[in-house]
Amino acid sequence: MKPVVETVNLKKTYMLGKVPVHALRGVNLKVYPGDFIAVLGPSGSGKSTLLNLIGALDKPTEGEVIIDGIDISTLNEDQLAELRRKIGFVFQFFNLIPRLSALENVELPLAIAGVSRSERRKRAIELLEIVGLEDRMKHKPTELSGGEQQRVAIARALVNNPRYLLMDEPTGNIDSKTAAEIMKLVKKLNEEEGVTIILVTHNQFVANQAKRVVYIVDGVLKEENT
Amino acid sequence: MKLTDAFSYAFGAVRLRKLRAALTTLGVVIGIAAIVALLSLGQGFQNAITVQLQRGFAVDTLIVTPRSEMGMGTIEPGFYLLVNDTEQIINNVPEVKTVVAVIQRAGYIKAGNISEMVTIIGVNFTEYMKIYSTFSAEMGKIPLNPSNDTVILGARVADPWENDTLICGINDSVELLWTVRENHIPVNVSYTFYVAVILEEIGGFGFGGPSDRSVYIPISTAVDLFGEKCDQIIVQLKDSKEETINTASEKIRELFGDQVSVISSTAILNTVETVFSTVKIFLAGIAGISLLVAGIGIMNIMIVSVMERTREIGILKALGAKNRTIMLIFISEAVLIGLIGSTLGIGFGILMARVFSRFGFAGFGGRSGMEATGTTAMTIAPVLTPITLIGALTFGVLVSVLFGLYPAWRAAKLKPVEALRYE
Repeated sequence: MKPVVETVNLKKTYMLGKVPVHALRGVNLKVYPGDFIAVLGPSGSGKSTLLNLIGALDKPTEGEVIIDGIDISTLNEDQLAELRRKIGFVFQFFNLIPRLSALENVELPLAIAGVSRSERRKRAIELLEIVGLEDRMKHKPTELSGGEQQRVAIARALVNNPRYLLMDEPTGNIDSKTAAEIMKLVKKLNEEEGVTIILVTHNQFVANQAKRVVYIVDGVLKEENT
Repeated sequence: MKLTDAFSYAFGAVRLRKLRAALTTLGVVIGIAAIVALLSLGQGFQNAITVQLQRGFAVDTLIVTPRSEMGMGTIEPGFYLLVNDTEQIINNVPEVKTVVAVIQRAGYIKAGNISEMVTIIGVNFTEYMKIYSTFSAEMGKIPLNPSNDTVILGARVADPWENDTLICGINDSVELLWTVRENHIPVNVSYTFYVAVILEEIGGFGFGGPSDRSVYIPISTAVDLFGEKCDQIIVQLKDSKEETINTASEKIRELFGDQVSVISSTAILNTVETVFSTVKIFLAGIAGISLLVAGIGIMNIMIVSVMERTREIGILKALGAKNRTIMLIFISEAVLIGLIGSTLGIGFGILMARVFSRFGFAGFGGRSGMEATGTTAMTIAPVLTPITLIGALTFGVLVSVLFGLYPAWRAAKLKPVEALRYE
């Protein structure tokens, strides 16, 4: 089976002023369809950098990120943007557009992709039903709880039928009880809907929900099968 | 992203910051309102003046005057047009139908104890009537063989207060006074005339033709009193075709060895129109500056908006928005501001033009401005052409977009990772 995303000796160096910061020092990772991988590491370990790279939000300094068989460093900005439509993002701070309703937020990736109004409405409602928010569709993010906002964000991430879902500390900003509910939903999506998930966290409990956990320390991966 | 989606997305963003959007839009409103008001008033003013000019005009006439100051050494000093020169013109230029010599002096009229400043004009009444239909009697009858002491009064001379209180009646005697220099000493001269006719009101500037603030005496009397030199010769042509006007003008110029200038009424109208076009462009330019300021306001506020919404831009990019989609969204905001601003601006501009035309030009249209040439109150109706309106709208939107380009480009160029990290 071909991996949906693969990194080969991936390196990323930032310049912090004049000081180079080696965020990633040669990461090799293969993610196959149906995987649920947790990348566990302390802050500053390079896990967000890794997520940005496999989310095609950034380009590597060295090495390769191969998404669906394509090396992303060969793509221009427009092609990267189109590639991102095949990737679902879930952020720690939800990153919903505050002035749009839950429904409109979920519709947004489809609107960007140029899908017709009626089609995207249908699809967005479907997704909101899956995450259990069918009766909160008209609410603005400020009128929703943290858990509900994250559900909207998950629905938004899935609305384009992405190849995989990238989650950056998805429970980092919500209470533990709600976090458990969110993780239940994430697990369900992986097991029942077959969504491929890559999750980044520093929380052992969250990581334990995944099928596979990899540790990242100082920009290097250490694998451990659970 | 589809254009309509980009637009409705932009609309949502603009609506969120109502006060800011309103203030930004206000700049465009003021700029466009100024342009519309000034252009429509300028056009209205031009139309009013053209109408005034045309009243005093006959389109088939030429005015011949000695070309004194303008010459480049070709003019003999002491060249004058004489009253008899009319015969030369009528004999040598076949296009000519009628010729009238005009002698004019500034002077006063005295009736009882009322004294007024007037222009005293000596003409052949019969010929003058043929050329200018406005030279017609309100009271009395224009005499075909006037006696030497006959005078015809312009409407405003007879009725200076514009309330039908005449300074004198028909057959009453009036005194005409003027100043001559004897050995460099100014001396007042006065003669008694008898009023034969009071003219109908003419209006207009009386440019070349009869005017309400003049008095008319027979040409023979004028020659006796002022001499043979005449100030202008008015020529009526057989038709008003441009070709006829040009040929006749050229022939008359040649006839007097290029020492006269020949002005056609049409040429004057054209000149006035040219002058007004320039004035209008100038006015629009001034108004354009205010729109420029509005444009800078748009740019300023949009740069702030881009900074504030950096994170949002990052989100959009993470969700697959291309650079041009981001650009489209921000330009849509500028278009929106431009459209709303221009539409409101056109409305306010029309309103302003109406208000100004009623109050702002009252003094101008009244007695102060053109009293000497004798004009009645001039009304300026602002003229709004579809071209002005469409032009203003286009211009407003264009300026908004132009100044929105740079902020939009900045937004589009943001790196997704950095934008998402922005607090």
